[in-house]
Amino acid sequence: MNSKKKAWMQDLRALPFLLPFFIAYLIFTIFPIFKGLEMSLYEWNLVRKLEFVGLENYTEMFQDEFFWDSLWNTTLFVILTTPTMVALALVLALLANLNTKLQTFFRGSFFLPSILSVAVISFLAIFMLQPYNGLVNTVLQLVGINAEPFWMADKTLAWVTIVVVTLWWTVGFNMVLFLAGLQDIPESLYEASEIDGATRWEQFRYITLPQLIPIGRVILLLQILASYKVFAQILLITGGGPGGATRPLIQYIYEVGFTKNNLGYAATMSYALFFILLVLSIIQLRSQRSEGK
Amino acid sequence: MNKNSLKILEKNRDPFRSVKLTVGITISIIFIFPIIWMMFVSVKPDGFMTTNPVEWFTPPYTFSNYVDLIMNSLILRWLWNSLIVAVITTILTLVITSLAAFAISQMKFRFKNTIFIFFLLGLMIPGEATIIPLYEIVKSLNMIDSYAGLILPMIASPLGVIILKSFFDGVPREVIESAIMDGCSYLKLFYKIVLPLAKPAMAAIGIFTFIGSWNNFLWPYLSILSETLYTLPVGLPVFNSTYSQAYVQPMTANAIASIPVIVAFLIFEKQIVKGISFTGIKG
Repeated sequence: MNSKKKAWMQDLRALPFLLPFFIAYLIFTIFPIFKGLEMSLYEWNLVRKLEFVGLENYTEMFQDEFFWDSLWNTTLFVILTTPTMVALALVLALLANLNTKLQTFFRGSFFLPSILSVAVISFLAIFMLQPYNGLVNTVLQLVGINAEPFWMADKTLAWVTIVVVTLWWTVGFNMVLFLAGLQDIPESLYEASEIDGATRWEQFRYITLPQLIPIGRVILLLQILASYKVFAQILLITGGGPGGATRPLIQYIYEVGFTKNNLGYAATMSYALFFILLVLSIIQLRSQRSEGK
Repeated sequence: MNKNSLKILEKNRDPFRSVKLTVGITISIIFIFPIIWMMFVSVKPDGFMTTNPVEWFTPPYTFSNYVDLIMNSLILRWLWNSLIVAVITTILTLVITSLAAFAISQMKFRFKNTIFIFFLLGLMIPGEATIIPLYEIVKSLNMIDSYAGLILPMIASPLGVIILKSFFDGVPREVIESAIMDGCSYLKLFYKIVLPLAKPAMAAIGIFTFIGSWNNFLWPYLSILSETLYTLPVGLPVFNSTYSQAYVQPMTANAIASIPVIVAFLIFEKQIVKGISFTGIKG
């Protein structure tokens, strides 16, 4: 057998292993990028492709105030949730790492909301925050606060609701990652500092925190990336309201595409989101690699 | 000094231990309180409403809402759809990612590095940003409004390939070489030797894929049109808005949707937590 034939044989043997993934990956992950580019250059509705419009969709996007508003809303969501999420996740991980009989209870209850469906957590929030007879408002009455907040009708309160619900729902994931980081810290570091007479605060400040920086950076970037994709809980809780004040970019893309029947323009705005996320994930992969992970 | 005595020492030394425990217990209760409230509301008589917070938790209780919903709504159907879609998505993901990872890790073929890098690119492509063209593609494949349309676009997970490849790389060379010497085919080598060694990684990816599929909202929301094919996340809102001011029926629906996952979580808590720290990434 000559070497060329042998190489062919080897390729042929590997093919059945590679092909199923390769085909699914090509059709559903890679091809949409090119398809999206094509769509963004056309007038295109839910039924079919209409006419070539060149860069018209892109110029429309740059002048569309709703696009900028919803991009800002998504960015605001990222700004509000990221630092609070990382801080809360760290606190919860420290609590869940305490050496106590309650450890499983802590971990379980911090994580439990994460497994609930977005529809469930959204409607729990809506019903608990109902004015007049919602649980939260009646408890507020009970403790003597007589304000009757309309949680979804006020811009600031709507954002508070969305952020708090998102924290409650997803912080468990980040806590688990921090927990893994905490457990990776070598016991010997603490033992050595014990001998040196370090206080608990000093141990936390000079051992725990610095050791958590690598995983903390991963969590931070993952969180930013995930938050830029926010959509479902906002759609379900506030519907993007009041008056579009909380509408995220993905919701606007959805509305343009499927309510206004303009897939071409929706694909164009998807490209904007694509580039934001692409840059963020390149940064993330870079920093993960530099940690040798 | 052994580990145990060190821990006792630690316990004695922490002056804030009780404060920390109190904070932990308080936060835990806040976290599970809405879920407990949901359970209580779901067993209240239909149409119940109150301005006294305590009354949500006191009797009378009834299970007639459950019976009513199960008989007269599509909720079990949606539960079934969610389950089927999640299970099939998980199985297919595990099969195709492990096969590809095995080839890249253990087999010889040309352009291996190029192909691997091509797969890696997928990590940077966010599904949310390509969902409009994906809709067009799935439409032209005639898979809108079908299980296939829900499942197939979700199974090519580059992360799965990367994790499994690095796991397969760790299988000792001698094991592989002696198996090949014995005339073991690659397929046999794959499922008899390599795959069993990769169980923890497979479990982690499986759990991850399952939770991701179970909670997926955007894609089923776009691609499913008929009510009988809804998954739970898409079906529940229909329900909640139909009965908007009444509490009991929507909460019963939410409870029915949540009980299976809560039970599964209580059983598999350790594996799930391990799985997440293993993959170190979230959907």
